[in-house]
Formats: sequence, C-alpha cells, structure tokens
Amino acid sequence: MKKLIIYIAVISFCFTSCKKIIDVDTTNAEPQIVIEGKITDQAGGASVIISKTVGYDESGVYPKVSGASVVVTDPSNGMVVTFFEQSPGVYSQTLKGIPGHTYNLSVKVDGKTYTASSTMPKLVKLDSIGVVSNSFFGNERKTAAAFLVDPANETNFYHFNLYVNNVFSKRVYVNNDRLTNGNKLRIQLYYESNDDDDDGLKTGDAVIVEMKGIDSNIFDYWYTLSQQSGRGPNQGTTPANPPSNISNGALGYFSAHTYQRQSITVK
Amino acid sequence: MSIKQYLLLLLFFTSTSTLLAQNKFTLSGTIRDGSSGETLIGATIKISGPTFAGTQTNNYGYFALTQPAGNYTVTISYLGFIPVTKNINLNKDTKLNEELKVGNDLGGIVIRAKNRKNENVKSAQMGLERIDMKALNSIPVLLGEKDILKTIQLLPGVKSGGEGNTGFYVRGGAADQNLIILDEAVVYNSSHLLGFFSTFNADAIKDVSLYKGGMPAQYGGRLSSVLDVKMDDGNNKEFKFQGGIGLIASRLKAEGPIVKDKGSFMVSFRRTYIDLFLQASPDSSINGSTLNFYDINAKANYKINDKNTIYISGYFGKDNIGVKDLFENNWGNVTTTFRLNHIFNDRLFSNTSLIYNNYNYTVRLLNDVTNFKATSLVRDFNFKEDFQYFSNKHTLRFGLNATHHRISPIDITTSQESQVNPLTQEKRYGLETAVYVSDEWAVNEKLNFLYGARLAAFSLLGPGNFGSYDADGNVLSSEKVTSGKFYKNYLNLEPRFSVSYLFNEENSVKASYNRNTQNIHILTNATSSSPTDQYVLSSNNIKPEIADQVAAGYFRNFNENNYEFSGEVYYKWMQNQIDYRDAAELLGNANVESELLYGTGRAYGLELFFKKKFGKLNGWVGYTLSKTERKFAELNNGNYFPARQDRTHDVSFVGIYNLNKRWTFSSSLIYSTGNAVTYPAGKYIVGGQTVYYYTQRNAGRMPYNMRLDLSATLEGKNKGKFQSSWNFGVYNALGRKNPYSIEFINDPNDPGKTVAEQTSLFGMIPSVTWNFKF
Repeated sequence: MKKLIIYIAVISFCFTSCKKIIDVDTTNAEPQIVIEGKITDQAGGASVIISKTVGYDESGVYPKVSGASVVVTDPSNGMVVTFFEQSPGVYSQTLKGIPGHTYNLSVKVDGKTYTASSTMPKLVKLDSIGVVSNSFFGNERKTAAAFLVDPANETNFYHFNLYVNNVFSKRVYVNNDRLTNGNKLRIQLYYESNDDDDDGLKTGDAVIVEMKGIDSNIFDYWYTLSQQSGRGPNQGTTPANPPSNISNGALGYFSAHTYQRQSITVK
Repeated sequence: MSIKQYLLLLLFFTSTSTLLAQNKFTLSGTIRDGSSGETLIGATIKISGPTFAGTQTNNYGYFALTQPAGNYTVTISYLGFIPVTKNINLNKDTKLNEELKVGNDLGGIVIRAKNRKNENVKSAQMGLERIDMKALNSIPVLLGEKDILKTIQLLPGVKSGGEGNTGFYVRGGAADQNLIILDEAVVYNSSHLLGFFSTFNADAIKDVSLYKGGMPAQYGGRLSSVLDVKMDDGNNKEFKFQGGIGLIASRLKAEGPIVKDKGSFMVSFRRTYIDLFLQASPDSSINGSTLNFYDINAKANYKINDKNTIYISGYFGKDNIGVKDLFENNWGNVTTTFRLNHIFNDRLFSNTSLIYNNYNYTVRLLNDVTNFKATSLVRDFNFKEDFQYFSNKHTLRFGLNATHHRISPIDITTSQESQVNPLTQEKRYGLETAVYVSDEWAVNEKLNFLYGARLAAFSLLGPGNFGSYDADGNVLSSEKVTSGKFYKNYLNLEPRFSVSYLFNEENSVKASYNRNTQNIHILTNATSSSPTDQYVLSSNNIKPEIADQVAAGYFRNFNENNYEFSGEVYYKWMQNQIDYRDAAELLGNANVESELLYGTGRAYGLELFFKKKFGKLNGWVGYTLSKTERKFAELNNGNYFPARQDRTHDVSFVGIYNLNKRWTFSSSLIYSTGNAVTYPAGKYIVGGQTVYYYTQRNAGRMPYNMRLDLSATLEGKNKGKFQSSWNFGVYNALGRKNPYSIEFINDPNDPGKTVAEQTSLFGMIPSVTWNFKF
C-alpha cells in the first residue's frame, strides 16, 4: 500500500507516464487441472469446481472437468461425504462445516488423485461494514470498510470479497494479524473496477462485503496473489504460481473457512 | 595450503625485495594542483637516467620511487595539466613536492602525444574504470542533474537498475553486491528520490574509481564491485565558490584555505525544490505534501607537518516524501571520516581512518486508525589502518580493517487509537575484521603482478534470540545468546591475483582471479531498490556470500595512446545467494530468515571498450555480451534461470565534441536487451479472480531499451574571476517509449481476452542548468 502511494506520488508530481498495448512472446502450456474447493460454516456453502487452464491470450472460457469422484472426509468424527456433479465441473453437497475441524479432500479424475486438507478456523465475527472517507491528494474518497475485533489469543487470517453494484472488485483483500493482533480493526477495501479508474464509492452505490476466516495455507495462497496483482512482470515480486495446498500439481486451493456477508448502501 | 602457509609465503616474497634494495635512494613527494592545492590522484612520475622507472601518486597524491644513485630526469604529468620536467641528482633520499599548472587547452584536447599515459595497458590491474570528472560535466543526464552513478552505467559490464535509476549491476551481480564508499565510509543507500538521483553531488567529488573485477586486497565485503568515491579536499590557496541552478535542484559549494598552503576546507550543499511548486498549489492537500531531498558534503584537511596530515570529512543527506493526512517517509545516510596520513619514512606511507556511518529511515502512516511510525537503522563503526611500502620494484600494501555493525530492523510505535501494535524487532550486532597484504610487483619492463590476499572474519554477536528453521521454514528452535558473545563465526581467505604482460608499450594481455565474500545482505523481493529495504547479517542460517571471478583481457592503445581498446572476458561463480519463499513477509518479521532460500549463481560475459581520449571529438563505445543465472532447489524445478538483470546485449555510445572554447556538444546512446521476466503460460479462474499460470521463471523478455540523450554546454564570456556556463539537455531525444513494467489486463475491446500493457516512465524531457564559479 505504502509503495503504491509513493509510486503514485512520484509519477503524478514529477513525470507523466504512458501506457500502450504491446505484443509479448510467450508460449502457452498444456492445459492444467484447476481445483477450487470450499467448505464453509454455512449450509450450502460446500462446493468443488474443477476446470482447466487456457492459454493466456485465449478468451476466458475455461473448460469444465466432468466425471470426477469428489470425496470430503472429517477424520475427527469419521464423516465421509461424496460430492455430486450438479452442473458440468461443479460438485456440491449440503455439508455444513464446523469451526475447528480439519477436512480432507480427495479428487479422482483422469486417472489421477489429488488430495488436500484444510482446517476451519474459529469464527471471528464481522461486526459491521461501513463507508470511510479519506483525503487522497485533496479529494475526499469513500471506501468500504469491515469492522471486527481480532481475538488476541490466536493467529487469524482473513480474506474479503468486495462487490460494488454487483460488480466484483478485482483486487485481492487478504490480512493477517501479525502486526494487529488483539485489536479492534477497521479494514479498508479499496475498490478496483475493471477500467482502472478508482474514484472511490459514490452515493447510492450498493456495497456487499464477504468475509472469510481462512487458515494459514490459504492466506499464503491469496497473499502471493495480492503481491503480484496489478504489478506484472518487472515490478514487484517475480510472479510464480501461488502455493497450492492440493497435492499432485493441481492448481487452485481447498479451503475450509467461516463465511459472513453484509451489505450497505453508500449515503 | 593452509591460510598460514599462504600468508607466510606472501610475506617471504615481498620481504626479499627489501633486502635487495641496498645502495639505492628514494625519491618521494606529493603532487598537487597548483591553482587549488588539491592533491592529484594518479599523476604519473617517470624517471630516466641510469635506470628507467615510473609510478603513480596514490589516493593522497603521494609517490615514492627507489632507484640506484645517479642523475635522473624526472617528468611529472597529469591529464589537463602542464607536465613538469626536472633534473635530480639522486645521491640521498630526496623529496620532490610539485605543484602542476592547469593547461589552458580545454582539458587536454591538444595534450602532447609523449605525455599521454598508457597506464591502462601497463598496469596489472584489471576491471578498473576511472571516471573523468571533467567528462562527467558534459555527459547528458535526466533533468540535467549530473550524476556519477548514471555515468558508470554507460561503461561495459555495468548495467543500469532501470530507467532513470541509479541502481546498478556489475558483471551479473545483484544491486546489494556493490561496495559504495565515500571517503572510506560505506554508503548503504546511494539513491535519492526512490532511485532517480544518486547521493553523490558531483560538485563535491574529486575522484571516482570503479572496480568490476580484480579488486585489490584492501577492499572487501561485497561480491561484485567496488565504487570508491573521494571528496574534494578544498582549495588551500584562495576562496572559491561554485554552484548551479537546475530544473530539479540547486547547488552551492564553497572552499578555501584554513591556513594558506597548509589546510583547506570544502562545503557543498544541494537541495531540490519540486516541493516549492507543490506549496504554491492552491489545493490545501497538495500544498501540504512534501517531496524533496538535500545533501551536504563537507571536508577539511590540515597539514600538521611534512609527515602528518589530518582529514575530516562528512556527508549528510535526507529525502522527504509525504502526502498530507496519508503518510510521511524520510530516509538518509550519514558518514563521518577522520583520517591521519602519516609518512613514517620516505618509503612507508600510512593512512589511519576512523569512520562512522549510518543509514536510517522513518515511515509514518497518518490514517486515523492505521497510524504508526516505523523506524530502522544500520550503523557502523569502522577502523582502518592501511600501509603502503614503496620499494624498488614492489609497492606493498597491507593493513587491517574492523567494522562493528548494529542493525535495528524495525521499531514500530503507535498511538493509543491505532489498530497496529507496537513492535520492536531485536537488534543485530556483527563484527567484521580483515587483514590483508598485497604487492604490486614490476618484475621487469614487460611483466607486472598485483597479488595478495585478504583474510576476512565475520562474527555475529549477542545479545539476541537466534532461530533455526527446517527446510520448509518452520521454527525448529531458538537460542538465547547473551551480550558480547560471539554466536557464529566465519573465516574466509580471499586470494587476489592479477598479472599483465606487455608485448610493447601499446599492447598487453592480462589475467586475474579473485575471491570476494559478503556478510551484510539486503532483503527485498521488489524489483527496484526501496528506502525500506532491509539489511541482515550473515548468521547461523545465512552463510557468507562468496564469489570467485576469473578474467582475461587484451589491451591495446593506438596512435600514441590517443585511442584505447580493451576486450575482457570473465566468468564468475557465486555461492550462498539469497531468494525468497512464496508469500514471504520480510518487514517486521522476527523470523525473516525463515523466508529465505539459498542457491548459487553464475555469470559470464565479454566486454569490449573503445575510447578516444583526446582531440576535439572524444568519447567511447562500450559493448557487453553477458549472461547471469541463478539456481535454487526450490525455484524453477531446481534448474538455472536468468536473473532479472540478465540482458544479453548492452551497447553504449558516448560522444563529446568540443566545437570551440565556448560550445561543447555531447550525446549518449544506449541499447540493451530487455530484462528477463516471467510471462504467463496460461490462465484460470478461482474465487472470481483471473489467475495466471506460470511455468519457467524469467524465461520471457521485456522489449528492448533504447535511448538517445543530448546535451550542449555554453561557456559564458570570461568576466574577470566570474565564470558561468549554461547546460541544455534533452533526455530521450527520440521520445521512445521504453518499457518500465508490463501488466496483463483484460482486452478493452474484447473483455474475455488478455493483453499485455506496457508502462513507460519518461518521454522526451528537456532540461536547462546554469552553473557558475568565482
């Protein structure tokens, strides 16, 4: 965040930068299997989506993978749940996760088995969401914010999704409590729309915030993405695949997390 | 061979020469600029008579030559000065202190052929570039702010850190592997304004030497290069002022005698004024913002008597960036050097230095709930004792060096309302000690050796809690160490060896091998250097970085040393290099060492350099063909991958044309292959995000860089003592959009698709600077 601000300051005060679309020489890899698995503490929140990668310059239609065997187990109580394919590549079950429990995922597809495990953290309550006004280079800018109290006696990881007028914000919002443990938190979610122009929120905007309490592996996954997003090659960290908690080289993640959702209209 | 045996052998070799030096006498003295009293570094002294010999003055203008008794003709010369010839009867040890007069021929344009030096061909030293401070004034740079760090980037083997950036990479090394010293003190962060300008105010600089390889044994502590910068001593004859007003900054320098011919001082000040424009803004938020830097260089010297001279010099610089109600960030270096030059006898010269230097930064976030202040400090106390012994065919150099480091990684203080917790990360203490000896041995007219060794010790000191980690970075144990305990020690012997063989006065081959080690490392997983980069010492986890370099070269001068050509090849092996785990958190992390990966590197290349030194038109062409790679078990499937700064081809052309006494035109043209970067090989979607799939690390290439810069200098008409000049410049005269970064975005015309969007920083930027002197 700080670097971003410095960057903006230098660029806008001293120099004018310019952008253009260029051709780059890349080779597309063979399609890879992508598994996105979720168990939440809400009924109906359990799903596993299996798809494949496409070339970076191809259009964003991702082939779904059908016919997989998807099983989730909870070794603490011997629970074994088989997921059913509701629509091509989308497997689900009416499984409601319990905070503190560890879930194991097993996916068999195309003769390969992929496994993963994730522990659902204890619920940290999303107290409220609101709109915060900051002065930003002389302009008052409104941003969405989540309010919560971080528990002092445990290490917590949070992941947020932000929707403004039902448009999903492309930025990755992920936090840990390394520097803020045990405090009342106001976590600001800067909106990033598709067209790059970030004027902040306007009166009448409908804001939805989803908060997920995640485990440390899933934090690493989103944190790696957040470090890369919006920077690209030659800026920021050297891009690499985020560390997946799924075995056998599958992309994606399997996350058991708590889930809360709140909405508000900007005044 | 053990370390002890090696050193004994070395001492044996070097001491035999002194035994043979009977019935000989020593000619010694100090060579100065007659107009200012500044000592001249690297002035040539040649004597002919019963024997022929030559030498150069050292960093303090001192020289000594020991020869059989007899009548000699002595010639002293230095670029841009009128040579002096004297007849001397050497029948006893003789002093020769000379002051040279400035030649009135515009910096040596019509210097007579016989006085041109061929030191580049003759000396065993390889990989050395000396920056001509006069040429520096006319080389075009961004916003007209002349800059030694940007000028060295125009030399082969030195790659720029990025557009407009003062960071540099030497022969495949990393940016933190350059030893940058100002009057012997380490400058940790050599950049202002996030890297667009360097901390070196050219007005205050007397001499700049860059060692890309073949580092002499008196230097140590970094892997890939040494940039030795020396400040002006100040005029000891009369008071002088000079300064300049530019687009970005203004400069003022004052110098003069403390006691005429015995002591002098120099003070130089520079400050930017972009923020004055900000303050002029009617907008209350913008006029509350800051964006400036300033630096002060000061130096004084006093010659107590013929045998003792003391020097004290200091540098103080600061950057301030802030946006009202958002954040403030300031950072800067402080260096202080106290030195005593002592001449024991005509042949033994010593320099004792006591040095203090630090680098610190402060970041304040001013948001109402995330407000905090973070500070960090690196501080060194350094003692250096250096001896030079001049004998007939040997110049012996030996000494010792001890540096105490203290690093305060981060200290976070917060207000009551802040949601950030206060944090003090443990300080780290280290002691670096080294002894060295080297000998420059002129075996005969054709063969020269420069060889020696440096024995470098590093100790990580208590107090502290030192963690150890497993292969995945999990904490295994933590050991509590009390104050003053030597927790971890490393000892490295660094052999240094160079040889030159002259076919004739214009033609030579050279070869060198040297090892360097490094015990202080910068942790950053961003591309460009940032003021908040973190320093760590070698430890139980971090092993000293080691580099071994071999190089060979052919050196050729033409047309009575008017043209210089050199071709050098090198190969470098690097051990214990550092990279980072995925999701590494480097700041404010007590277990930061658990986030590190260790690997190896290799770099090799060819450097060609052709320079025309004299005449109305002078300049150079440099070409580098190189490769630099890294290998980490955890990255890129354990295979070698190109380092980001791996640019295969790098060409620079610098031309300076002195039209007449008033007009000088210059241009520089650079071309380089793009940086090695990682491009996606596919994409997928998770959690509503488009995520890119990567295969090979740094297998892609940014588009190439090319830039033409122009400048013209107009000297004002002489009005008595007052001299002024105008400098006009155009940066990126072709207006080419060079790549700064590439981002993959959704195609604006076809949203499901992805395209690459390049950001460029600087278009064509004109500049004008007015300089004066009186």
